[in-house]
Amino acid sequence: MAEDPKTATAGSPFGKPQVRIDGRAKVTGRALYPSDEPVGNPAYAFLLTSAIARGRIRRFDLGEARAVEGVLDILTHETAGGEAKPPEMQSGGKTTTTLESDRVWHDGQIIGVVVANSYEIAREAAFRVRVHYEKEAPSASFGSPGAEEEVREPGEHKDYRVGNADAELASAEVTVDGWYGTPTQHHNPIELFTTTCAWENGKLTIWEPSQFVYGLRGNVAGQLGIDPEDVRVVSRFVGGAFGSKGGATARTAWIAVAARRVNRPVKLVATRDQGFTIVTYRAETRHHLQLAATRDGRLTALRHEGWELTSRPSDYNVSGTETTARMYACPNILTKVNIVHADRNTPGFMRAPPDTPYMFPLECAMDELAARLGIDPIELRRINDTQTDPTNGQTFSSRHLMDCFDRGAERFGWSRRDPRPGSMSNGDWLVGLGCASAAYPSNIAATAARVSLRPDGHARVQIAAHDIGTGAYTVVAIMAADQLGLAPEQVTVEMGDSSLPPASLAAGSSHTATITHAVAKACGELRDRIARAATTSNNGPLAGRDPATLVLSAGRLTAPDGAAEPLVDAVKRLTPGALEVYAENIPKGLSPEAMETLYKGKPPMSRGQNREDVTAYAFGAQFVEVRVHSRTREIRVPRMVGAFASGRIVNPLTAHSQYMGGMIWGLGAALLEKTEIDPRHARYVNDNISEYHIPVNADVRRVEVIMIPETDRDVNPLGVKGIGEIGIVGVNAAIANAVFHATGKRIRQLPIRIEDLL
Amino acid sequence: MDVLLTVNGQQHRLDLDIRVTLLDALRERLGLTGTKKGCDQGQCGACTVLVGGRRVLSCFILAATVDGEVTTIEGLAGEGDPLHPMQQAFLDCDAFQCGYCTPGQILSAIACVQEGHAESEDEIHEYMSGNLCRCAAYPKIVEAVQRAKPLMQVQAKESD
Ligand code: FES
Ligand code: FES
Repeated sequence: MAEDPKTATAGSPFGKPQVRIDGRAKVTGRALYPSDEPVGNPAYAFLLTSAIARGRIRRFDLGEARAVEGVLDILTHETAGGEAKPPEMQSGGKTTTTLESDRVWHDGQIIGVVVANSYEIAREAAFRVRVHYEKEAPSASFGSPGAEEEVREPGEHKDYRVGNADAELASAEVTVDGWYGTPTQHHNPIELFTTTCAWENGKLTIWEPSQFVYGLRGNVAGQLGIDPEDVRVVSRFVGGAFGSKGGATARTAWIAVAARRVNRPVKLVATRDQGFTIVTYRAETRHHLQLAATRDGRLTALRHEGWELTSRPSDYNVSGTETTARMYACPNILTKVNIVHADRNTPGFMRAPPDTPYMFPLECAMDELAARLGIDPIELRRINDTQTDPTNGQTFSSRHLMDCFDRGAERFGWSRRDPRPGSMSNGDWLVGLGCASAAYPSNIAATAARVSLRPDGHARVQIAAHDIGTGAYTVVAIMAADQLGLAPEQVTVEMGDSSLPPASLAAGSSHTATITHAVAKACGELRDRIARAATTSNNGPLAGRDPATLVLSAGRLTAPDGAAEPLVDAVKRLTPGALEVYAENIPKGLSPEAMETLYKGKPPMSRGQNREDVTAYAFGAQFVEVRVHSRTREIRVPRMVGAFASGRIVNPLTAHSQYMGGMIWGLGAALLEKTEIDPRHARYVNDNISEYHIPVNADVRRVEVIMIPETDRDVNPLGVKGIGEIGIVGVNAAIANAVFHATGKRIRQLPIRIEDLL
Repeated sequence: MDVLLTVNGQQHRLDLDIRVTLLDALRERLGLTGTKKGCDQGQCGACTVLVGGRRVLSCFILAATVDGEVTTIEGLAGEGDPLHPMQQAFLDCDAFQCGYCTPGQILSAIACVQEGHAESEDEIHEYMSGNLCRCAAYPKIVEAVQRAKPLMQVQAKESD
């Protein structure tokens, strides 16, 4: 790719609102999500899941279930346990097992699969299976007897020790010191967790909603001991993911095994309650956060210690201290993370995995400090803003945090806020205004793309990328159109299929940066080939020109002097058919083996906080108005404003939806969402989508999004940062701070509920 | 059991297990996969279809008990046809992300207008709350309903 790809030339669709190219398919019901894909004569699976959280399976009584007419097979550890190995965790560590043994690690663990001629029969038979357990007393959570705590050793995540935070905290002029907690939360995408598997001539096809089709392919191949080339994963549309469809889960290999055993395609649509235990979720966390400052508001120490709950074997953790340590200028920093093991399923990525829980205590503490010092919360952040990463002295590739605060404050009307808690009201309602910072690292991964240009001026892009609702199909079309001088409507995009060139994981706000660079690189090579041919041919209007100076725009190849040739003619010179280019893009800082890693199903990712040249983050400011009823203490959120500086925006229409969705997720995380667990039995209580409260339409009123234009030449050549996560970050703190402003009560445990305010 | 279903103007005679829901009959037997399963227990609205013009949760009704003509998302606009004003409004307002709740939202929104429950923004927020959207497109869904409503009324007048 040219170091600085030419984009946003006049007429380019880059940065202009573009209706989704897959939108018509979605509003007409013709978009095929994996469980919609037609397969011939499928059998249906129903999962058996454990009713205890810890122990062993002594035996199964399968007689009654097998007697149900239409039952084809029942997989258990006794009948099929040796046929697959457990999947690898996305984070690489150990995790719980399923049918491989009689061991039960957690409630709702997959312990069997019933396969039958119809869904109704499979379900009935599953209910007729009797399981005899050898039960042990489980540990449910933090503080439960038997829960084991250990210090997280530095590995994938680091701890920070700058100066001497403890000494400074002991002697500082002003300190704030608080304990905070965030609950277990589940992604609950509206699409259920589905898997369909079919074998043909020893080759396996898997239809499963996925954020990483190559990852799933590599994993399942490893589990079954077959060549990844013999596995194809298809996931053209994904009905919401939010992290839940990023890693391989145990179910997939068992459905593949079932399909092999019954010699028929097998279709699984796991139930909503099973979705709470067969995939990951956001771990429960605890925090001890201490700040020290001078009376004029300069931070002098930050100490952040976190505790994260996980399963018995897993050391999964998110360590959001990597962000909190970098938020503000501070000479003394100490961070530490602990892991607590209990009899729970293994947690995993969920929207802004590290930053949603870890920014909550920091941003609440900043608000508390501001109140203590009598300094406006925005001014306190301005006093401590920095262009330098406090953990290593590197500069930020770009950081426009205060621009976000200033623009957001203006739109929100922050200046009318009376800082005294409880001072503002509207009729029976107490009014609270709160704000918080948001940040998320800018990540990018290695990825490949194939682009072909037909003589009729249509392009086709093939890339095994994923549209999980983010608008990736449209982003790819815009990027290709921009680079080839076409309209997005002239670009066909094929994605979500591991038979296409490999793309990395759609997660961690990396996908837009990742795929735009791969597409731009392939398009650039295509342009070079056309330009070389056009300039070296003896006839034609561009003969003899310097090929490097030719640009593709509006369907023509044009030289700086105005000479031009229709694209159609320029392509025809090379081939009567379509001109095709395959290109791989390995971002700066990644090893040359990155593509090999990706082919094997591991995401080769450059992380914004781990770079050696700059520290790359997006920043934002969240503003929330809450109303707390003076008698009932009901909490409502009439208005939210988020302002974000996150590099160049490819498609403002879909970006707006993504930011808005993230902010509403923050509302849910702060006020509604908590998976309750029975402390005696370590079982989830509200494992359905009516008692696990996600925001509904009536919970949400005005949500305003401000996109601050930002040019960043250092983050990556196109200046694109991700936006999928940052929208949620800080919202929980902004809401807690607004609740404090309305009521004078500082709530440090989420979600904030009526009973906290009585 | 022998079941007669009229879906999008077409009659189907099906031999069904009596336990089959309307949702599973549509998806697994008639290949009409535009109607989505989000919970299978009447909590999310993803499976909303119209039966005799009224919004119904198709996971919550047995196919054998359906009384009336069923309209699914596929019945609103054929391939290549102009979209229903509500579909067009959802598309133009970007009133979805993943699109999984969208067929249910659109059918619910059409019924919401026809019931007369789209008279104000507040009312739309309330009467569209049975359709969950985890992508949280809610403000844009409300905008889309407001945009489609007058166009639907014009269409209704024209066909009078
Ligand atoms: S699938 Fe019918 S309400 Fe959720
Ligand atoms: S668009 Fe994804 S659930 Fe509504």
